[in-house]
Parts: sequence; structure tokens; C-alpha cells
Amino acid sequence: MLETTEVAASTRHRTRLRRPATRTLVRGGVIVVLLLFALLALPQLLSLYYVDAMTEVAIYAVVSLGLGVLVGRVGLVSLGQIAVLAVGAWVAARLLFATTQPYPLVLLEAGLVTMAIGTIIGLPALRLRGLYLALITLMVAGAVAIVLASTNFPNGGHGFFGYNGSLVNIPPIRRPSIATSDPAYYRYAVVVAILMFLLVFVHIRTRPGRAWSAIRQSEPAALAAGINTTMYKLWAFALASFVTGVAGGVYAGAAHYLYSIDFPAQNSIILLAVVLMGGAYSLWGAVVAGLLSQLLPALLNNWGVSNDWLTILFGIGVVQVLTTAPRGLADQVPKDLARLGLLLARLVHRPAATTAEGEAP
Amino acid sequence: MSRTASMRASVVFMAVTAGAALALAGCGSSPSSPSSTSSTTPPSSSTAVKTSDCGTKPGVKATGTPIALGGIVTDQSGTSFTDIANMAAAYFTCVNDNGGVNGHPIKYYIETEQTNPTQIAADAKQLVDTDHVLGIVGNTSIIECSVDSSYWQKLGYYIIDSGIAPECWSTPNSAAVNMGPRYSSDGAVQYALSQHVKKIVFDQSNVPGTGYIAAGPAALAKAAHVPIQQLTENVPITSADSVAIKEVDDAGPDGAVILNFTPPDALVILQAAQKLNIEDHVKLWGCSTPCNTDFLAASLGPKWNNKLFVNAELTPPDFTNTPTMNLYKAIYQQYGTSGPNKVTGGIGSFSQMGFTEAEIAVHALETIKGAFTAASVNAAFKAVTDYNTGMLCQLWTYGSYPMHIPNNEDYTVTPDNGKMKTVQGCNEISSVDPQIAAYRKVAGVATLAPPRSAP
Amino acid sequence: MPSWQDFQPFLVTGLALGGVYALSGVGLVVLYQATGVVYLAFGAVGAMGALIAWSMISDGIADWICWLVCLLFSGAVTLAYGIVFGPLLAKREPLVKATATLGLLLVLFGAMDLLWTTSGGETRAITLPTDNSGFSIAQIQVTWTQVIGLGVGVVIAAGTAAFLRYTKLGTAMRAMANDREITATLGVPVRRVEAAAWLGCGVLAGIAGLLLADMVALDATTLTFLVISSLAAALIARLRSIALTFVAAIVVGVVQNMLVPINAVSNYNDMTPFVLAAIALLVLSRRQVLSRSREDT
Repeated sequence: MLETTEVAASTRHRTRLRRPATRTLVRGGVIVVLLLFALLALPQLLSLYYVDAMTEVAIYAVVSLGLGVLVGRVGLVSLGQIAVLAVGAWVAARLLFATTQPYPLVLLEAGLVTMAIGTIIGLPALRLRGLYLALITLMVAGAVAIVLASTNFPNGGHGFFGYNGSLVNIPPIRRPSIATSDPAYYRYAVVVAILMFLLVFVHIRTRPGRAWSAIRQSEPAALAAGINTTMYKLWAFALASFVTGVAGGVYAGAAHYLYSIDFPAQNSIILLAVVLMGGAYSLWGAVVAGLLSQLLPALLNNWGVSNDWLTILFGIGVVQVLTTAPRGLADQVPKDLARLGLLLARLVHRPAATTAEGEAP
Repeated sequence: MSRTASMRASVVFMAVTAGAALALAGCGSSPSSPSSTSSTTPPSSSTAVKTSDCGTKPGVKATGTPIALGGIVTDQSGTSFTDIANMAAAYFTCVNDNGGVNGHPIKYYIETEQTNPTQIAADAKQLVDTDHVLGIVGNTSIIECSVDSSYWQKLGYYIIDSGIAPECWSTPNSAAVNMGPRYSSDGAVQYALSQHVKKIVFDQSNVPGTGYIAAGPAALAKAAHVPIQQLTENVPITSADSVAIKEVDDAGPDGAVILNFTPPDALVILQAAQKLNIEDHVKLWGCSTPCNTDFLAASLGPKWNNKLFVNAELTPPDFTNTPTMNLYKAIYQQYGTSGPNKVTGGIGSFSQMGFTEAEIAVHALETIKGAFTAASVNAAFKAVTDYNTGMLCQLWTYGSYPMHIPNNEDYTVTPDNGKMKTVQGCNEISSVDPQIAAYRKVAGVATLAPPRSAP
Repeated sequence: MPSWQDFQPFLVTGLALGGVYALSGVGLVVLYQATGVVYLAFGAVGAMGALIAWSMISDGIADWICWLVCLLFSGAVTLAYGIVFGPLLAKREPLVKATATLGLLLVLFGAMDLLWTTSGGETRAITLPTDNSGFSIAQIQVTWTQVIGLGVGVVIAAGTAAFLRYTKLGTAMRAMANDREITATLGVPVRRVEAAAWLGCGVLAGIAGLLLADMVALDATTLTFLVISSLAAALIARLRSIALTFVAAIVVGVVQNMLVPINAVSNYNDMTPFVLAAIALLVLSRRQVLSRSREDT
């Protein structure tokens, strides 16, 4: 019985390996067309109001991407990603005011600094398990929000904090010289978003992605299989912090002015809600999440409908996703569990016990 | 439970919760019922004022091509300035019902925002690019002036607003009908200094611009050789008792505590001081304009009569019986108590500001001889000179200046058994504040406004 | 640095606030022990109850009826959530159960903002009759409300501990906390016990909502997220011990308020619960790397 299943599984696997070539090509083609449309045509079609909204969509798609890596890939919930975004924006703003560095460099630095901070905080926190980890991110985010309320965001002043509270005329945060207008900056934001998505995509398709899958399935089993779970979990934290930091930098340029009241605690909760609703596991889910959290409010504001209806909708959505998901938060687990087992085996380089791991419930 | 069953269950549950909440809330009063807001009728009977006095052709509805105007106001939990825009809308509706502007009705687009810079910038673009507004009137936002000032400058729009952010007074393209937190706090501190207090404690909410606001009182205290302690509190206030105790301790028995908060937070601090029986432990309490509402006066007991001195940027509506004030109240009654643009706060400084801004805008529009374009409308706004609004101490001027503080003279009021009573009439904000000095250098000192006899 | 004399009034306010944090923290811990759910919507449901009470009081209905309605509302919503979603999520890890309550939080939060909008100049307040009377201890005015805040915290903490220890229902809850499956097989009506826990927690949320609305502010956002401070106290106690939750809550409340007169750190005092909880979690977790009890906690 076991042998028949195995043979059938591997036959199906081999057959499936032939078809993905065309399927991937078609899917890739569609994505490229959509991206070109978004980059080139969309700004011409939309009014400036919606171009601004779509810039925010691009930014928050990246933030959702980061949270999706944590929640969907590894199974860690962070309730403080908006605080991470704020840190990224802070660093970018400080650099943009204090130096004349080119924008891409500033974004990179913002991402790296945020990554460093995220990793430093993540390291002790990773000792905690699921629930406690989520709650400690909530605590840290709350603390960061209060610190930001007192230190404020850089606004061209001097000193470490770069904040001058007495200014009668606050200078705006600069944008890249090639993208000062709103449509141009929108395109810039989309390009940065594409780069971040590619970065995450590469991670998912290579060793970290496989390790994350294993950890998400069962951390003790992954440990037993020899995967350094702490390192990979930290890597996920680092990646999520990096992309969110970069998104923060893009946010700084989009907004021109940063205020601590723009990063309230409830936004972290709403972010989690839209990521869950959009689908934490897929990259498209991050785009959907961005649309839900940024485009819908812009539409509703225009139609005179209160944003509170959206909050209620997101609340229902959270419960919806969680109750109908078959297994855990990362519910869109690939159905092909045999394939997962084989991947695991390849990762571990052990020829012997492949079937046992593969037949997960 | 099966997938569909659980889906149904969750949706049903949420719907039931929301429904139950709505039903229960419905059993309670609607939160904006008049009983819980400020006063409605003036104490003395008003001279019979018809709302049609707002327009030039009583009873004739305007039917020409509309003149589009826009406004951006903050509307988020804890801070809402929709009353200002709604009162302006009420005024415009009145004008439209009574002849319009030379027969043209005004179409007023209101954008609300939640203190999000990108959203505010987008709202401005929406108004200009999509709604094609010719002028901006009624903006009241914590940060809009900062975010949009360069945009308005680029477009050549001269906005009439009720400001909060520093740029509302320090840029060429914005002129406010109010004084804003800094100059209003100056007024409150000035009054305290005039009562010879030995120390000032200035406490304000920790929203953008605290340094800018604090600089005014700091300069005034320094010039008077009175020590000043600057404090900020995170809002909304969660430990009012602690805040009150700290303020009183810092001020001492010969000191004054001056507050700059939105009405709910200011009220909570004052009530805490009363609860703890420490309101008499300082010489006096002061507050910037937001405290100037009858609602606050009614919520505070008689212990605060002649104890709390509030700076009033606009002429106090109670005890003022001029045609303009009565027109304002009449328009509120007829157009502002129901409908989509309901003014929930009633008679008070917010709706007064909205009225004044709309009044100025209509006055300017009526001077336009040719076509109504963005250029002609904004030129007319900028050209407003020495206009008697009937709501301010001084005549109001826009002018071609690099900065605008057209309202720089104020009243001081105190609660008097549920209403705000004037203690000190029009008093100039001192030029010791460097910004005021800079403005007076370019614009001079405006003449005091005589009471309006006819609109 | 302020003198001890200057600190004393803040000690009083701190104790009162700590008492209410304790009340909320105990509610969270008991429910967690009985059902495995960290009820993050605790603050929101109490806030909505308080706002409903406020609406009814503004209408002129007698105070005590409105407070009762507040408790009933909070209890009913919590119970309903527990009955519907408890079984649906029973087999899931605590993280999922806690995240689901975030959904309820969002629904309530949105509903509150819709129904009780902010308008210019208006403010809402709940005043209890005990607000205006009190007594003096060494030149500090103590209101009866503050005494009640601390008192209710003590009573609830002690009462709940006794309830869990000495009553049949309480013992059943403790058994379920230990091992739900075995408790079910032993014939304990787990669903009913859970329902009781949900209802009790909901009522506590209503009480906390009223007290916090009086002592802090009747503001939806403030009250909803104040639960994080109570949660901090519960986390310091590892969501296990009621006594420890009580002590932690008092410490958090007192420290938070005692920082107020120190001008250098005054604005950061709101961070106290978060910092203390984070430190406690990280320090305490050193000894328990992979804890086994209660699934993934």
C-alpha cells in the first residue's frame, strides 16, 4: 500500500514537473504585463488623488510582504510592524536631511539599520514561543510609539534626533531628483516594491524558504532534521525588517512630513488583519493587503463613507480567515505534501527516512 | 463544524454584535443631541434677524453656474473640526437661498482627513484637479498648512483658514481668522502676567508643533521676568489626576497654570483638579481658546468662576447682541441643526470660525466683476482689506505679506455659572512674541472693529 | 528630584490605577487558564459597555440601571463570542485564538467610532457618585473612587483565587487549564465551564470599563488599548498566577504614576507597562526555552 502510494506520488511529481514550464511562463507573462500597466499606464489614467493612494498601496504592499514572510512562511506573528515602518521612516528622514546621499543609498541604509534593530530585538524574543512572541512585539511596538511621540521625527533640525520643535516653516523631506512629481514618485515606489518582492521571492525559492517551510510544519521536527531554526527564524525577522525599513524610506519621501501620530498601535493590528485576509502565504496576498488597507479607505473617503466600516470589515475578515483555515495561520500550505517531504529530504541530505516526514497529517 | 457553517456562524455573530450594539445605542440618546452640547438661545431676545440677511436678494434661489470652493478639515477619533466646515457650508447654503453671489450659487466641497500627510496632500489634489475648486476656505487641520503650503504657493491659491500648524501664520498663502494655539496661549499667559503671578506653568498637548507654540509664552514670561515651566502631555490624557497634581505642584500658590489642550482633555484636567480639591492651590488657571465653549463652562462647576481665564479669539456669542452675531445664531438654527452638514457643537468658537471664514469669502467673491476663475477668486481673497467681520476684535485684512496673523487681539472670558462671561475686552497680543513683532512690522496694527450695524 | 512628599499623591493615584489593572489582568488570566484564549478585546468590550452606559445616563435613565446594562452588554458579547468561536478554534494554538479576538476588537472599535463620533468641543465622561467625596491622608486627597478601584482589584483577585480553589466550577476550570482532554473524559461539562469563564470575564471587562472610564477617560481608543497595560501585568505573571498578576499590576500602576513628577522621564511614563512586561518576559524566558504546557506557550 505504501509502495503504491509512493510510486503514484513520484509519478505525479514527475508529470507535474513537465507542465510547470509552460505554466510558469504564462504566469510570468501575465505578471510582467500587469506590472508594465501599473508602471506606465496607471498614472496617466488616474487622478492625482488616486495616484497618491496607489503610491501608498505600493508602500504597504511591501510592508505586508514583510509581515507575510513572518506570518505565512515561518508562522511568527508580529503585532508591531508599523513600529518597524516608523523606524525605517525615521532613519531615512534623518539621512535625507543630514546628507545629500542619493535616494537608493538612503533607502538601502534605512533598510539595513531597521534590519539591525529588528534582529537585535528579535534575538532574545525568539526564545519565546508563538503567543508570547506576538505579545512581546505588541509591547515593544507600544514602547516605540511612546518614544517616537517624545523624540518626534526629524524635520531638518540638528543633533542626533534632528528635530527642531520651534520651526515656523518646516522643510519637506526631499524626493529623488528623478521623481519629484507625484506620478513619477509613484513609479519609483512601484519599482522599489518590485525589487523587494524579487528579494523575497528569491529567498522563498532557495534554502531559507525551504527551511521556513520545515519550521512552519513542525519546529521540533525541523530541529531534529538538523535545521538551525534560530538562525532561520532570525533571518526571517531580518528580511521582514529590511523590506519594511525600505518601505519606511519610501513612505518618508511620499509624505514629505512625518508625525508620530501617523503610526498608531491600531495600524499594526489592521495590518495583520489585511495580511491575513489577503493571504499570508502568497506574494499576491501582499498586494491585495496593500489594496485593502490603502486603496479602499481612499475610495471610501471619496464616497463619504466612514472608514469605520472598513475597520469592522477587517475585524470580520480576521475571524473569517482564522476559523476557516484548515491548519494554523499559514493555512495555504501547498497541498502536495509529498513534494514537501522530498524537499525536506534534499535539504537534510539524508537518504534514509524520507517517507516518514513526507506523510504529515 | 463544516467550512460553510463556520463561515455563516462568524458572519452571523458579527452581524448580531453590531446589530445589538446599534440597538442598544439607539436606546440611549444619539451622542449629538442638543441636550449635551452648548447653549442654544441667547439670553436677551435678539432683534428680529432674518437669515435672508446673509444674501443680497432675499428669497431668490441662485441658479447660475456654481462657484466651486473647497475645504480640508481633520476628522478622526479624538479630534474633529467638521463643525467649522459644516457651519461654512450652512452659510453658503443660506447665501445660495438668497441670491447667491451675483446669482451664482456656491458649491462647497469638504474633504476630511485623519492627520495623514499623504492623504492630506491627496485631498488637496482632489479638490483642485477633480473638483476644480476656485478657492479654499475653512481649512482646519492639525498639519494641513505644513503639508500643503508649497502646493498652494505653487498654484497661487490664497486660503482662508482657521489654523493650527505654524505654517498657517508664517507663509504668504494662508490667512487665518483665529489666532491659533501659540498666539492664543500668548493671550492666556498675558492675562496671567497682568494678574502678577510669580510663576507660570504652561502645559500643552504633545501634538506636532509644541516647540513653536511654547516659544510664545516663553518670550512673554522672559520679558516679564517670571519663571516659566514648560510641560507636555501625551493625549488623550490617561492620568488626569497626576497631570493636575504635577501642574499645581510646579506652579505653587502664587503661580498660574496655563493649559493648551482640546476641550475634552482640558476639561478632564480641570475636573481632576477639582476632584482633588487643589484648584485653589494656585493663584489662577488659564486656557487657550479651545476652552472657550459653553459646554466646558457648563461642565465645570461654580468653583471656576473667576478662577479659570480663557482666551477668546472671537467675540463671545453669549451676551453679544449685534446683528451679525444674531445672524450667525439664526443661520445655525435654520441650516446647521439638521441635514448632512450638521453642526454638532452648536454655538461656540468652532462654528463661529466657520461662519467668519465663509463670510469673508462671500464678501470677497461679491467684489469680482468678471468671470469666476481661480485667478480672480484668489486675487479677491488676497485683496480683502479692513473688513469688519462682526466676530473679531479688529478689522480683518489678508494682504500681500510673507506671513499673516490678521487676528492678533483678543478677549479674556471666565465661566459664570454655565456660560462664558467677558472679563477683559479686546487686548493686543504683545509684540514681545517675535512672530507678532514681525507681522506688525509688515502689516502694522489693525484698527479695532466697530460693532456691526448692518451686514 | 521631587521629595517624598511630592511623590505621595502619585502613590495614591498609582495604587488606584494599579487596582484596576489588576482587575483586568485577573480577568484575562482566568479566561486564559480556562480556555486558552488571551482576550485582547477585553478593553474594547468594556469601552463599548461604558459608552452605552454613558448614552443611557445622558438620556436620564437611572445610573445603576445603566451600569448594569454595561455589565450585561460586556458579559453578553463576550459570552456570545466564546460560545460561537470557542469550539471553532478550540483545537488551535493559543496564538490563533488570541489573534481571533483581535478581530472582535476591530469590529467593536469600528462600531464605537461610528456610533459615538467626536464632535467639536464635546466631551464625554462617566462620573461615579464616589468621585466627589473622599478623605485626606497626610494632605493628599483620596477619593472614594480611587479606594473602590484598589478595593475592587483586591476583592476580585482574592475572590477569583478562592473561587478557583474552593468551588466545584473553579476546580473544573483549573482542571481544564491543566489538560482539557482528560477533563472532558472525566465527565466535566467543559463547554459549560468555558461558558462560565467567558461570561465572568465579560462581566469583569464591564466593571473595568466603567472604572477606567471614570478614572482615566471615556474614550474608545484609550480604553481599548489600555488592555495592553493590563496584559503586561498578566504577562509578567506568565498568564498563570492570579496573585502574581495582582502584584504586577499594582507595581505597574504605581511605577507609572510615580514617574510623572520626575520631569525628565515624565512623558515616557506611559511606557512603563510595556517595558516591564518585555523585561519580565525576556528574563523569565531564559529558564524555559521550549515550554511544554498549554501547547505552544
